[in-house]
Amino acid sequence: MDCIKKKVNEEIQAGWIGTNRNCEYNPCHFKGQDCTFCYCPFYPCHDEDLGNMLIGRRGNEVWACSDCLFIHRPEVGRYVMSEIRRLGIESVPDPRMMDIFRDAKEKLWRPGKALMVVGATSDAGKSITVAALCRILSNRGYLVAPFKSQNMSLNSKVTRCGAEIAMIQVLQAQAAGLTAPDEHMNPILLKPKGDDVSQVIVCGKPYADYDVKGYYGEFVPGPGRDIVKEHVDFLKKRYDLVIMEGAGSPAEINIYDVDIANMQAAKIADADVILVVNVEWGGSFAYALGTVELIPEEDRKRIKGIILNNVRGHTENLRPGADKLEEITGIPVIGIIPHAEIDLPSEDSQGLRRSHSKGNGKAVIGVVKFPRIANFTDLDPLCLEDVSVLFVERAEDLDGVDAVVLPGTKNTVSDFRWMCENGIADKLRSLRGRVPIAGICGGYQMMGSILDDSNGIEGGEKRVYEGLGFFGNKTAFGEYKKVVVQDEGHLKVGDLGAIKGYELHMGMTEVTEPPLLVIENHFDTGPVDEGSVREDEMLFGTYLHGIFDKPSFRKYFLSFIKHDGVVHDTSEVRSYDDIVDENLDKLASVFEENLDMDRLLEIAGVVR
Amino acid sequence: MKVLLLGTSSGAGKTTVSAMLCRYFCRNGVKTVPFKGSNLSLNSYATADGGEIGMGQAFQSWACGVEPCTDMNPLLLKPCGDGVIQVVVDGQPYMDMSKNVPMNREYALPRVGAAFHRLEDGNDLIVCEGSGSPVEINIMHRDVANIWVMRELQIPSIIIGDIERGGVFAAIYGTWRLIPDDLKHLMKGFVINRFRGDGSILGPGIKRIEELTGMKCLGVLPYEDLRFPEEDSLSSSSGSLEGDDIHAAFISNLDKMVDDAVDSGFDFDGVLEIARG
Repeated sequence: MDCIKKKVNEEIQAGWIGTNRNCEYNPCHFKGQDCTFCYCPFYPCHDEDLGNMLIGRRGNEVWACSDCLFIHRPEVGRYVMSEIRRLGIESVPDPRMMDIFRDAKEKLWRPGKALMVVGATSDAGKSITVAALCRILSNRGYLVAPFKSQNMSLNSKVTRCGAEIAMIQVLQAQAAGLTAPDEHMNPILLKPKGDDVSQVIVCGKPYADYDVKGYYGEFVPGPGRDIVKEHVDFLKKRYDLVIMEGAGSPAEINIYDVDIANMQAAKIADADVILVVNVEWGGSFAYALGTVELIPEEDRKRIKGIILNNVRGHTENLRPGADKLEEITGIPVIGIIPHAEIDLPSEDSQGLRRSHSKGNGKAVIGVVKFPRIANFTDLDPLCLEDVSVLFVERAEDLDGVDAVVLPGTKNTVSDFRWMCENGIADKLRSLRGRVPIAGICGGYQMMGSILDDSNGIEGGEKRVYEGLGFFGNKTAFGEYKKVVVQDEGHLKVGDLGAIKGYELHMGMTEVTEPPLLVIENHFDTGPVDEGSVREDEMLFGTYLHGIFDKPSFRKYFLSFIKHDGVVHDTSEVRSYDDIVDENLDKLASVFEENLDMDRLLEIAGVVR
Repeated sequence: MKVLLLGTSSGAGKTTVSAMLCRYFCRNGVKTVPFKGSNLSLNSYATADGGEIGMGQAFQSWACGVEPCTDMNPLLLKPCGDGVIQVVVDGQPYMDMSKNVPMNREYALPRVGAAFHRLEDGNDLIVCEGSGSPVEINIMHRDVANIWVMRELQIPSIIIGDIERGGVFAAIYGTWRLIPDDLKHLMKGFVINRFRGDGSILGPGIKRIEELTGMKCLGVLPYEDLRFPEEDSLSSSSGSLEGDDIHAAFISNLDKMVDDAVDSGFDFDGVLEIARG
């Protein structure tokens, strides 16, 4: 406590500084944050709107408010400092500080609003709409958080605190200018395991496995609703606006009462709702009208606007239809959005299935499309390079590829067996040393010499498998335990550049190879080596998802590609984060130009 | 007997479900032929008598075990780029239409009707396929394959909804709602296509749609990873296809689809009942 007081007194001496662009951690919370009070002058405020009491390690009560953004709001930092000056406070403790706090909170704090985006179908463009709105409103100075109560996805990411949430909420948080997305933004994550069963992740931690009936019959009526309420309320207290994303269609009338991803969530959060319809496939007026009319009247009232999305050709051609739709439903069409060519990570496997080949270049990177492929957004940065990324399911499809990536999988052992049965494993052995091969997570485990599943954790059968043998590494699936952690560090090869990623895996690997990289942010252990490399054989493996995001490893890997004898040009390789950010700006401007923004702000309830 | 299959969107599965019905009824001794009043497609087939029709109708015709003829698709629209569409009537190029040059409906539509009536002679059942969604309210007045055919030829109709992308109940209900009132009495049934998983979860939703619309659910067709000829530019062409003879391979895929539909309890008799009018 004395240490904090000392820091606060230094802050008071320094005066108002606004955003501290010289700080290497800026922005540690959100773009444009006020850094005047890096340490809160009101700690511990004991205000339940802003923080909560936790039981500390020694059983003592600790006031926890690391998620509080109040003091970092530009208007708050400025106000608090001006009051400190006005009252002539020179150091803390000072009894008048709490008066300033009370005034500041009364003047500048109010609970946030919630706005929900639902879609007529699963690929209506909800995620993209939420991302666009997050960017537009954050640019206009609102503090915005994305939220999806329940997300079914195989693409997840790890938060700063080691929680697992859906990739798309992380992307939306980036759109909102937030630095550290957290588990409140996606409190329920369903990861399909096949046969109708999903692993349910709650607040970023594995909770239980359910089939469809079990999920709707036990989980939802049990803890489900309370989880949604707790987390959306949490966000509402901290942000001006929570932009919620629905899942699938909100009018699945067979499960309407137990569907906590759509209108029930809107009700819980008291959110008004925008319906997004993808017009690309046709039938959009029927989808829109049917969705609106199948929703029971008391909930239907929440739907305040319709967006017709993904229009190819002239948007004005749809206006007569939109006018009729308005007339029939009584709900305004607040935007007709043209199709936009935008490169952003894709949410579900639908996109993967439809496009077998992404990218344009001549050099071909074959990605083995495991039946249980997971975290395939790892490949997105490669798709932006001058190469073709080809997802392959048969050994012969690997003929003539210039590089291979073995991506992550939900089940290493089962997918390894699949790969042995269909000849891909032998094919990869024949490619060894001829083209660069990189394995990520499950793919990395397969590159080792042994996959020890003698407890039957992965494959069901108690067995030890011989891996591809590219590395001497041995991976054991000893117990049902998952590693979930964010990593930062640098490569030990190539340009030794920075890398950032996250680990999400079952099984532990005993590494016998030189490391590919070193991780430096595990404060309790010190720097640790990670991954494996055999540069002479062009073999690379790592547990880190997101390894291709920063330019260093991507550049390094691509530099081994030789297409028709020509070494791949890697001079233009850029940071994927920057590319994503540019695309978010592009997306936001397409929406902003074609949306009735005044109407939208009115619906969102944040008009100032 | 005649029945029209309408889709909730492009790619809902009209073409394959029509082909499946053709195949099933052909296998059961009903003399069946396909018909599509108007087809917007790049993929066409040359008939034995030197005419051009949409690939989908050729495929459906094989499913019926008969030689494709131009009456099965009397109006074919072929996009030529730059907004120009070649209009093929009765298998022969007739005109190019564009934004400023609309199709000559007075010429084309009577020929569409006449082709249908020629098919009626000598066949027991005509399985008609609509095009896209029948209720694009911004362009409904220009429609041929759905609304015009329905009204002009008074064909009882079935909606095919694709459940894979979600929102199938809304799509079926919304389509029914937007069908003009004078045609509502022809809306007889619906089919849920491409379902994966345990069908019992759909029960309450199906019942509700039946109650709201008076249409009958004819079945829930399982998802099939089978490849069929490409109909329009939007369909994806994934799925398995085995064998050297592409024609035979499509038909063998179709036979599998028919068998799976029978196993799923699809109400083929109900389709015939609707087709009888």
